[in-house]
Order: sequence, then C-alpha cells, then structure tokens
Amino acid sequence: MLQIKPILSTLMRNKSGPILLLIQIILSVAIVANASFIISERIALMDRDSGTAEDQVFNFRLYTFDTNIDLESQIQRDIRAIRDLPGVIDASTTSMVPLSGGGWSSGYTVGSSEETAKDTEGAAIYYGDEHIVNSLGVELIEGRNFYEEEILTGSPDLATHGIVSKAFAKETWGDEPAIGQIMYAGDFGEMPIKIIGVVDKLQGAWVNSSYLDNSVILNIQLVNVFTKVLVRAEVGTLAQLKEAIPATLHKDNRNRVIEGFTLISEHRKRVYRNHELMATVLSMMVVLLLLITSLGLAGMVMFNIERRTKQIGTRRALGAKKRDIISFFLVENYIICLVGGVIGGFVAVLLGQQLMSLYSLPQLDLIYPLMTVAGLIVLTTIAVILPARKAARISPAIATRSV
Amino acid sequence: MLSMKNISKVFKTDLVETHALRDFNLEVAEGEFVAVTGPSGSGKTTFLNIAGLLEGFTQGDYFLDGVNISNMSDNKSAAIRNEKIGFIFQGFNLIPDLNLAENVEVPLRYRGFNAKERKRRVQKALEQVGLAARMKHLPSQLSGGQQQRVAIARALAGEPRFLLADEPTGNLDSMMARQVMELLEDINKAGTTIIMVTHDAELARRAQRNIQIVDGQVCDFTMYQSGEGHQGGERASEKPHLVTESHVSLNQDKVAS
Repeated sequence: MLQIKPILSTLMRNKSGPILLLIQIILSVAIVANASFIISERIALMDRDSGTAEDQVFNFRLYTFDTNIDLESQIQRDIRAIRDLPGVIDASTTSMVPLSGGGWSSGYTVGSSEETAKDTEGAAIYYGDEHIVNSLGVELIEGRNFYEEEILTGSPDLATHGIVSKAFAKETWGDEPAIGQIMYAGDFGEMPIKIIGVVDKLQGAWVNSSYLDNSVILNIQLVNVFTKVLVRAEVGTLAQLKEAIPATLHKDNRNRVIEGFTLISEHRKRVYRNHELMATVLSMMVVLLLLITSLGLAGMVMFNIERRTKQIGTRRALGAKKRDIISFFLVENYIICLVGGVIGGFVAVLLGQQLMSLYSLPQLDLIYPLMTVAGLIVLTTIAVILPARKAARISPAIATRSV
Repeated sequence: MLSMKNISKVFKTDLVETHALRDFNLEVAEGEFVAVTGPSGSGKTTFLNIAGLLEGFTQGDYFLDGVNISNMSDNKSAAIRNEKIGFIFQGFNLIPDLNLAENVEVPLRYRGFNAKERKRRVQKALEQVGLAARMKHLPSQLSGGQQQRVAIARALAGEPRFLLADEPTGNLDSMMARQVMELLEDINKAGTTIIMVTHDAELARRAQRNIQIVDGQVCDFTMYQSGEGHQGGERASEKPHLVTESHVSLNQDKVAS
C-alpha cells in the first residue's frame, strides 16, 4: 500500500523540512554527479597504458666529463656492459623516457607530392638503436625492428628509418598500411624517414599532451656527454642494479656521474600525482556529501517519527501493519529523493556546462546524474529503513494514551 | 461477540510488577452497547487496549467474534483491527495534515480497497455524521464536536462489527457530547456492538449495560433500559465478581444517582 496521495498531501502541508532536504539533495546530486565524472575522468587518465613494461623498465642518467675519450665507443662499451649484468633483459640509450615529463617531440611532413604534403600531429621522438624496442618492452605488431647496420650515431637529423606507434600510424595514414610510408623531418622531400615497423602502444613523456599516444622511434644512437639509458630488467632487481651498474661503469671510467634510477612505474606515480590528489579530494568530498545527505535524511525521519508518534500509533490502531509504517516513511523520502534527484540532475548538467566552458572539461555524461540518483535511492533506503523500523515498533496502544 | 476469560495483564519493570488486569472476565453479546466506567488507574484503558487488540495480555483467553486472539501475530491483529473494530479516541486522533476525506480513508487504504470503493465509503460515512459537505476541510478548521464526528466516520467507514470508544465525549462540551452520544446510539441501533469507556456517569447510564472496573477486575452490572428514553431506566445488579470498599462506594453512588 504505497499511499502516495496522502503522503503528497502531508508533504505539501509541511513544506519547510522537505524543502530544506530537497535543496540539500539537489546540491548533492549536482556536485556528486560532476565530482564523480571528474574522478572517473582522472582515473581513466591514470589507467592509460603506456605500452611499456613499466615494472621492468627503468632509466638513469649518465654524465661523462672526460673530454679525452672517444665518447661514442665509451657509450657502446657501457651499454654492452649493462646488458651483460645479471637480471638485465636489455638496455639502450634513449632521447626520452615514457611518462617522465621531459624529452623530444616534433611533427613531420607527409604526402605524395609537395602540393598534397601536410603536417602530421606532434609525436614524441625516441632515438635509439635496435635494442630500444625490447628495452622499452613495447610490442612490435607490424613490420620489423631496426637492423644493427641501420643504426647511425650522432645528429638526430641523420635518421632514415622509423618505427611508429599504432596511434600515430592511424592518425597519419588512416587505414593505409604504415609500413613503407615515407615521412619527412623537414619540409616535403627533406630528411626522409622510411617507416619499417609499428608498435602496438608507446606513450610519450607528457601525460597532459593531446598526442600522448603518438610516438616515433628513430634509428639514431645519440652521442652526448649527457646520456639517458633505458634498462629492462627482471622485476625486483632494481635495487641490486642500482649498485651493480655504477660499479661496472666506473670500472671502465670513473669520471662519470651516474644517477636518477627510476622505474617507469615510479614516473607514472609522480606525473599523475596531481590527478590522484584531485581524485582523492573529490572522492572524500563525495563521501562527505553523501554522508551529510544521509544524515539529513535520517535526521528528518527521526524528527518526523518523534513528531508523529501518536499518529503512527493511531495508524497502527486503524489497521496499519508494521510494513505499512515502514513503507510510509520510505515512500515519503523516495518522493523527496526523486524530486530532488530530477532537479539535481538538471542542475548537474548546467554545472557541468559551466565547468566545461571554464576549465575545458569534457561534457558531463548523463549516466553520472542517473547513477547519482540511483545511488541516492539506495542511500535513502539505508538512511530511512532503520528509523522507519523503529517507528513500526511503536505500539498501537499509544493511540489511547495522552501523549 | 467478545469473550474474555481470566485475562491478566502485568506490566513489569526491574523493580515493580503492576497488575493492570487480574482474572478479568467479560462477555459482550452482539449488538450490545456497553459502558465501562471506573476510577482512574482501575484498568479501563488497559481493558480497552486489549479488547481492541492494541496490546497483548499476560494470561487468559480472549475470543473476538469466535476467533481466539491469544498469541496472534502482529499482522493478523492489525488485519482484525482494520476489518472488525472501529476506534473512537478521546483526543479524536485525526491526522492534522490530511483533510476529512483523507482521514476517513486511512483505514480503507490499509484494507486495500480500490479508489472507487474508498470514495463511496468515505462519502457514505461522512454523510452519516453530517459532514459530507466539508470533506476537503482540514481537522483544524472544525470544532471539537465536528472532529469527533469525523473520527466516528473514520471508525464507521470500514463497517466494523464493533466500535471501541475511549472517552468519546471527554473533550467536548455538554451539547457536543449529547450529539455525539446520540450518534453512537443510532449506530448501535443499526446493529453495531459498542464498548464505550467513560468517566461520565450520565453517559454510562444511557448504555444498555454498565461495567465497572476496580483494581483491574470487573464488577458487572446490567442496566436495562425502558422505552425510548435512556434516563431513569430500571436497573438490576447481577452478582459482582469482586466487592471492595471503593467498589461498594462507587456502586452505592451509582444506585443513589
């Protein structure tokens, strides 16, 4: 027996309490829906796969100050020595480290003629040798890796072969095969680079970049006094390698500074710290708001039970079963919750539009207000059911007492 | 219609045991109009609560309309209250946020009647108490006597087998009280059994039988009425179950009046 009409009559004749609760619910729905949306956006951002073996791959920085040495052969000796260390799967020099926040990026020119040439979207650039694909732990899904003899040392402008990420290939050449395509590091015709392979996924260094998934690996081993080295090793060997690598490299030449051993998974934690913080703060706010709303609901029910003790006893005397009393309070609060939920849903969309224009957030997905209202109904049930069960235990004999 | 045999009701706290009713015996036949009187604290309200299935009892047997009420489930008790018993309370107990029609409709909703049937019964019950024209009014817009008539309409709407009235005129002035009493008499004449708890000796005399409760026990006096008038009818006392000093003095007082 839902008694919706008399409950509506009761609500309409005692507006102040329900209106305050309604306002609270409207604000809660509007804020919780948008906050949940932002949280899920942040979580989705943080969950993006870099394409690399994040728990296996680490990088370190190598500074060589000795000007009397052949830097190129020194670097090659160093990398070979690292590859021979126990636990190391592979190693390579690199121009950048995924998710590290720093590195190289560029756009390229593509097209079959000068007239039809166009610029590609930007892409992160990894310069490395034939070991870099394995050192990153990325999956080659089309074409091939670099051959050793294709690796050039020195200037980035010398690059002739490239391996691209699937996202870059798709964005640049659409459904056409990427293998065999030519792109130019300069204007059309200048510094051509032939695409020989496609990796499934490889992110760049900047997590807020719009082309995070666009990456290009070029066949250049950079030779600088400052070198970044990527090492892929068995999980759990970083601590041991942190000591073994400097010891090994210093045996060859002591005039180097070796520092900054960091797993890609640690880079991930660092670059997403702000996103994580925001998601945490918003989650706490959502929990707090829902808690306050449920306390408001429970408080209102308890107040109404106190106020209507005799009325409840009278209803019981007139034949209401315990479940009728429980359903009375549930329905009364469901009505407030649904009205608040519907209005709150509209306010949530309006608030979402404001946030979208002010902070360049994506448009609020309608599923969030709907889910918030659904969650609120569950919350209403939890908040109301206990006081309502208490009300149902009020004796019908209270009807004959002078209270 | 109503049969109570050796009913006891004990209220227990950690320190005190209070015997509200003890070995309480009562038979009420169908169509009777019984007034229940007694001093404050004598157990009248406890009797009314037990008779109306508003609370349980500690010992004894209670049959209502042939049904044994002992150890009945809460749901079953609620259903019997709803279907067979009409309640009239001293304070009217109308729901202030509902208009008259909605108030009268309350027990009908619990019975599960459809909207059409509820409307028909509400209309009929309010017509019976002369308030059909004011069904959209709130209780606060009515006088005390009118509110009690609404409460009577609410009690009648379910067409109960018997009415339990708890001091139905206790909050009314004498003119209103007379109107309400006449209404109850009309209802009784139409065949509804009425048990009325009252402090008002004059009202009690208008019932067919007056039961006095003292110290939780019943002392049963039958009052025969003569002719159409209810005043000054011949009365004869049957043998009381209990005679106490206070009871005797009450009894003498009643006879003297």
